[in-house]
Amino acid sequence: MDNLGFVMGASAIGAGLAMIAGLGPGIGEGYCGGKAVEAIGRQPEASGSITRQMIIGDALAETTGIYSLVVALLLMYANPFIGRL
Amino acid sequence: MLTETTLMAGEFTVEGPLRSIPLPFLEGILGEENACIAESVVTQWVVMVILGVVFFILGRNLKLKPETKRQAAAEWIVSFFVGNVETSMGTYYKKRYAPYIGALFCFCILSCLMGLFGLRNPTADVSVTGTWALITFVLVLWTKIRTGGFKGYLHSFIEPLPFMLPFNIIGDFANPISQAMRLFGNNLSGMVIGGLVYFALGSFAIAVPAVLSLYFDLFSAVIQSYIFCTLTMSYVAMADMSE
Repeated sequence: MDNLGFVMGASAIGAGLAMIAGLGPGIGEGYCGGKAVEAIGRQPEASGSITRQMIIGDALAETTGIYSLVVALLLMYANPFIGRL
Repeated sequence: MLTETTLMAGEFTVEGPLRSIPLPFLEGILGEENACIAESVVTQWVVMVILGVVFFILGRNLKLKPETKRQAAAEWIVSFFVGNVETSMGTYYKKRYAPYIGALFCFCILSCLMGLFGLRNPTADVSVTGTWALITFVLVLWTKIRTGGFKGYLHSFIEPLPFMLPFNIIGDFANPISQAMRLFGNNLSGMVIGGLVYFALGSFAIAVPAVLSLYFDLFSAVIQSYIFCTLTMSYVAMADMSE
């Protein structure tokens, strides 16, 4: 096997593995949304501010998933390892 | 290097994170490699022109009592942003930040919608979102120095305890990076997934990409623009040390 093929294949596997990190934000955002619905059920008049806080919380929970996505995209489109061969 | 990585994705239509338009008439001055302009910059010019024309038309001939639908729409837009800024940041920042937040929100949404018209979405370019996050960083820095003084700003790094210094420094720089990456990652992932689906379906690409585009270019874009503006407001409001 030549080096280029090995590096590209390993990068593709790495990109796939990096996206496993999508699990965490998914669980977190689901939990956040569920809690927000509970809170709105208890206090329907505060639904505006609860929704705003929920969206901010979602955005923060999403950060780790976005980082993994950036790593995966780097491995796919701007692979730093191919330049080192 | 780039051609090899593009090969990996076959005949895939999304050509990595940056696309540029060649400018043949500048080749004599800048050289052949530099004579090009990023497509996201051109799309932003289109967005600027559209926003400028729309808001110029909305803002003409205003009366004390609104008579036209045009003025009612303009007043609704302005009061929406002023109200939003007031609930997030308080009355002191209402008049100062509403124009910036409003401009940022409109620009961001319209940039994302450019994807629907076949132009490249400028927010799928990390240099664009990075610039906006840098503006937020400067605003936060200015707010800290304005409210706490330069000494207070330096002192905020060793609060609550001196050994927190490295964490506070990292935290200061992590905010703009994560803010830029969030908008960039969301919009680029929409583009990449859309391109992959087009590529996978080949000539059978009917209806399915439209649903994806509806989600990524409309729903996700509006939510992400809102989040970007909300985060900008809450970072600046949190930086206020006068309370």
